[in-house]
Amino acid sequence: MDTSLSTTQAPPPAGKKRRLPFALSPQNLNIVGLVLGIIVLSVVLSFTAPNFGTVRNAFSILQAAADVGIIAWAGTLVIVAGEIDISVGPAVAFWSVMLAEMAGPWHLGLPVALIATLVGGGLVGAFAGWLRARFGVPSFVVTLGLWLALRGQAEFMTNALPVPLSDNGFMDFVGGTLPGGFPVSAVVMFVLFALYLFISRRTSFGRSVFAVGGNAKAAMLSGIKVARIRVLVFVGTGLLSAVVGIITAGRLTGGNATAASGLEFDVIAAVVVGGTSLAGGRGSMLGTLLGVFFIAIIGNGLILLGINPFFQNVVSGVVIVGAVLINLVLSRRGSAEPV
Amino acid sequence: MDTSLSSPEQQPVAEVRAASKNYQAVRALIRADFQVRPGEVRALLGKNGAGKSTMIRLLSGAEVPDEGEVLIGGTRLGTEGVDGARRLGVRTVYQELSLVGSMTIAENMFMGRWPRTRFGIDYRLMADETVKALARLDLRLDPAQTVGELSIADQQLVEIARALREEPKLLILDEPTSSLAANEVGRVLDVVAQLSAEAVAVIYVSHRLNEIRRVASTASIMRDGEIVDTRSLADLATSDVVQMMLGDTAAESAPVGHAPQPDNPVLLSVRGLRVEPKVKHVDLELRAGEVVGIAGVLGSGRTEILTALAGVIEPNAGTITIDGQDIAGRGIAVALSKGVGMTPENRKEDGIFPLLGIDENIVISAWSSVSRLGVLSMRRIDRAAESQIRRMSIKSASSHAEIATLSGGNQQKVVIGRWLHADSRVLLLDEPTRGVDVEAKAQIYALVRELAAAGRSIVFVSSEIEELPEVCDRVHILRGGEFVQEVHAPDISSDSLLAAAMAEH
Repeated sequence: MDTSLSTTQAPPPAGKKRRLPFALSPQNLNIVGLVLGIIVLSVVLSFTAPNFGTVRNAFSILQAAADVGIIAWAGTLVIVAGEIDISVGPAVAFWSVMLAEMAGPWHLGLPVALIATLVGGGLVGAFAGWLRARFGVPSFVVTLGLWLALRGQAEFMTNALPVPLSDNGFMDFVGGTLPGGFPVSAVVMFVLFALYLFISRRTSFGRSVFAVGGNAKAAMLSGIKVARIRVLVFVGTGLLSAVVGIITAGRLTGGNATAASGLEFDVIAAVVVGGTSLAGGRGSMLGTLLGVFFIAIIGNGLILLGINPFFQNVVSGVVIVGAVLINLVLSRRGSAEPV
Repeated sequence: MDTSLSSPEQQPVAEVRAASKNYQAVRALIRADFQVRPGEVRALLGKNGAGKSTMIRLLSGAEVPDEGEVLIGGTRLGTEGVDGARRLGVRTVYQELSLVGSMTIAENMFMGRWPRTRFGIDYRLMADETVKALARLDLRLDPAQTVGELSIADQQLVEIARALREEPKLLILDEPTSSLAANEVGRVLDVVAQLSAEAVAVIYVSHRLNEIRRVASTASIMRDGEIVDTRSLADLATSDVVQMMLGDTAAESAPVGHAPQPDNPVLLSVRGLRVEPKVKHVDLELRAGEVVGIAGVLGSGRTEILTALAGVIEPNAGTITIDGQDIAGRGIAVALSKGVGMTPENRKEDGIFPLLGIDENIVISAWSSVSRLGVLSMRRIDRAAESQIRRMSIKSASSHAEIATLSGGNQQKVVIGRWLHADSRVLLLDEPTRGVDVEAKAQIYALVRELAAAGRSIVFVSSEIEELPEVCDRVHILRGGEFVQEVHAPDISSDSLLAAAMAEH
């Protein structure tokens, strides 16, 4: 009956379970668990996988994490708002192609092409959010449509062939590394992480996202402009997909309609492993950060261990569901029933 | 006490003998005796918390009494639950409909027990049986139509038809007309009369005395977990009913001593408000510094009036004027900017953000006052939250604690505090004391008086009519979609309010 209690995991009465020396909320429990998971995983891999412990490999993990992470920050807010965006992989590919087309064959010049890519990414996101907010089209359906349309349009424009970008210092930098080998995309990831951490905790927009995801009706009755919040969270994923599209174009020195395949599921997996509830209202940027690294390290380790690439997905799938399952079992301990 | 008013030679359909039921410390039912005979329509009356629901739950098998026993057709009801009572012929239609809107009438009629042939579900049999069941209530609906397309009245009737399909001996109707418009009520009452003629016993829970007088022959009145009396309705005046429902508590409450000040400025004025189908024509003036009550039974349109004032719904007609500007149908943001705030009736579902802290639950109505350019100031949030927490003496260890950890009364204070934080001048409180303990109730009354004294204008809506005299300067009685009467402090008495609100003509 008391749904508000069972979904918030009020502190269990003392004496019901083994007392820890310090109190852990489910959110903190999840974060501690992920940190432990990452440490255990790293220790095991450094003994079993050749070259896991090298600096070069660390940079390669960072680079893999960046593509997922940059979008996952915005994706966390989308999921906290109770929505979902599965269109980000095709969006990355589409904008990498558009950038190369605009800068190359269309002769718009790189600066204009870059701005147009970012603006376009935001607008596509706004369109998806508008369909959701104005007409109530489920965001899964809207972004499923975009998932098909963006990849299709990119392949149609290019016949699924790469579109080369002419040599350019800025694009090489964006797709490359700092002196010493630290990936530039990872720098972008950390800067955006700080920004999104701030947005999610310290701005009225960020807190309104949590309110809308936690109780949309109450948010509406409190005077929060629910439709605006819903549009803005999708502007976030659209914009950051375009950012990753630019980074991808820099790395590949061109656009590619087949790039970033399956990225949307890595993003959702990272967010969910990080403890964000798909039902909305609950989640944290720090959890997502750890989720991103958890997934990037698993992917990296499986490659180093020489596991059959087809079988790698099986392992990833099992690990992701297992991590969420453990999280749920731990956080529901003492509450009556799963809702 | 004589409970056998209809022909005493008949065996009662259902009998409750000296049953008691406690919920933790609450004594919901105290040694209650109750019986109902075939063809009898028995009204069950009592204010909220009098024990009506507990009685229904015992009879329908949903609960087992702590002491005493429940007999259905002479068979003692044990722990076999709702199914056991169902086999003995008891059907209950609750106020909240339990139909699946996206499925057809026929599928709902057989919910979970769909007849089957060798090739799957037998739709033809279902349709035939459904037509028969509906015909019994004179309903001509297509069994293949989805329930969601039906009017609320038709849905209610389909639900009753479903209950009747298995030939019950006892039908319990819990506030069956509260969600219906006046012209739809007659259909339900006709059905009840027809059932009585077919020797089905009906227990009819309602607050609408004129409906009760049209269908019921006898009435049991409950108060504080006890059955005060069971009498024939023919020799039971409305004033007797009210007296029995309220008991002596009405005399104990301390009414507001002073009359409202008519020279205070009018903050908000409503002219000719119409909200289909329940609210026909409402005029209302709210002055600074007064608490105005609206007394009406469940489903009388109280909530519709408040949600229209708060900009949540657009009225069909009428003006809502504040600062010389008509805000009717302009939306919540406009109402909010003009200083109108509403605390919703369902605190848990619509009022609180269970995952957010007390502080954020308070400041959420006006982020702008604790932020600059969208960036929140934690210091200002703390200060704003602490000041409301102090002002309303909310009991909590920390302003950051999740609101779900608070008691109902403290949650309600937080929701009220939200509108104080937004500096609302007009507060619309819909059932502010629902699910709140006695001590918190008194604190909420005191808070409301204090806010009025500080120049705010408050509309107080409550199903518990006896609390209106304790907080209101004046009370409008809402009946048949209109304000039919207005009473002023200190002449507000719960007896007269209840009698006026229930006596629907």
